[in-house]
Amino acid sequence: MSIIIFVVILIAAWQFFYWLSVDMLELCKSYAVPSPIGVAERFADLLSDGSLLKATGNSLLRGIAGFAIAVIIGVIIGLLINHFNYLQKNLKPIVLGVQTLPSVCWVPFSILWFGLSTKAILFVVIMGSAFSIAISVDNAIKNILPIYTKAALTMGANKKQLYTYVIFPASLPELVSGLKQGWSFAWRALMAGEVMTTSIGLGQTLIMGRDLADINQVMLVMLVIVIVGIIIDKCIFSVIEKRLLKKRGLAA
Amino acid sequence: MALILEGLGKHFENSEEATLHEINLTIETGEFVCIVGQSGCGKSTLLNLVAGLDKPTSGKIILDGEEITGPGADRVVMFQEHGLYPWLNVIDNVKFGMKLAGIPNDVQEEKAMHYLKMVHLEEYKDYPIHQISGGMRQRTALARALTLDSKVLLMDEPFSALDKQTSNILREELQNIWQETKRTILFITHSVEEAVYLSDRIVALSPDTGKIAGLVPVTMPRPRHVYAPEFVEMRHQILEIVRGKTI
Repeated sequence: MSIIIFVVILIAAWQFFYWLSVDMLELCKSYAVPSPIGVAERFADLLSDGSLLKATGNSLLRGIAGFAIAVIIGVIIGLLINHFNYLQKNLKPIVLGVQTLPSVCWVPFSILWFGLSTKAILFVVIMGSAFSIAISVDNAIKNILPIYTKAALTMGANKKQLYTYVIFPASLPELVSGLKQGWSFAWRALMAGEVMTTSIGLGQTLIMGRDLADINQVMLVMLVIVIVGIIIDKCIFSVIEKRLLKKRGLAA
Repeated sequence: MALILEGLGKHFENSEEATLHEINLTIETGEFVCIVGQSGCGKSTLLNLVAGLDKPTSGKIILDGEEITGPGADRVVMFQEHGLYPWLNVIDNVKFGMKLAGIPNDVQEEKAMHYLKMVHLEEYKDYPIHQISGGMRQRTALARALTLDSKVLLMDEPFSALDKQTSNILREELQNIWQETKRTILFITHSVEEAVYLSDRIVALSPDTGKIAGLVPVTMPRPRHVYAPEFVEMRHQILEIVRGKTI
């Protein structure tokens, strides 16, 4: 409830500054500063012609598809790094380094290899989040209490049982946090990928706003990107995380 | 003839002196043997070797005629920190070892309930681990270890993280369970009192040389009373060995 009031205050402040700087003192041009009313109008327009919903849907689908592939690749790399000492020593530092690359850096490659296509966008998403997921998988497994595996070994667990019955459930809470972070990387990378192509999506709607010098549309898309990010984080990842921790008596 | 340790030694790479030297010991089937020693004397190392969690640098360990090469369900360990899985409730933790062994569900259920009753936890079977006390956790761990019918039960200071009162109750119950189930138990402890109370035979390790300083059979009838004169005397005798006054 308090957050709703806070947001209302924020919007009121925004409207006030718009009125002050654009209408009253004429410090800024109206095409350079978005206003709450302008954004609301664009929202109504884009909602009524269905384009906003379509763009959001497309972006979400791409984000989810890219993220899913990134999870598969990230988990495989993470498990390999964790399992083989040689890779732990030699490959992990490189993965850590590559992970720090902003996802836009993958754009030139993706265009050269895949053209201006959905594949190119997916490529940027995958490169933007797979490595962070790999690092989280490795860390999650490393942070398991040694006694969990020791106890299982002395009860006769084989390698496969160790992974399915101990390592996987024991690392699950940290794994989910890692996936949550991976998703936020994927979502950011998606926008980097989408602004370069013309296929319908939030990124493209944003660029269209820029091309039409419609700052309200740009602002609107930015807000939608933030809101979708919050919804996925709060309604999916945080819920799973909390449930896992609560079950283990670790939640506050 | 159950468990034989033959010239067992362990020398960790990063330490100057060997942790364990030439340990020779035979533990008979059904025997309750305690290894006592001060902290750092190598008793936990010894248990890890028998459990197969670590490899000896010399000598070997033979269980029923077969040399030990790694960990296995024939030598279940009960640890100081219970080692239960927080994502499973009490009964699923108890079933865990049986699940690994591929035992049918109905047998798992029946056996788990049998041992849960033995440790007086049948009413807590559906509780999550974080909602039961430290003593109950160790009872759960004990029930889990018992379900596997291992040849030797290895216990690494299982009661030393508990308060004195709980630990006294648990050792009494362990004794009853041992008499009932006739398991072979190798029990590690730093508490001489616990050793004299529980064991058929006490293996006292010397404080710094990593050798057996004394092998003392305990013949007092059970249940033993910690204030009985013979108990006090034996406790004193073993304490001296452990502290290195008599060799």
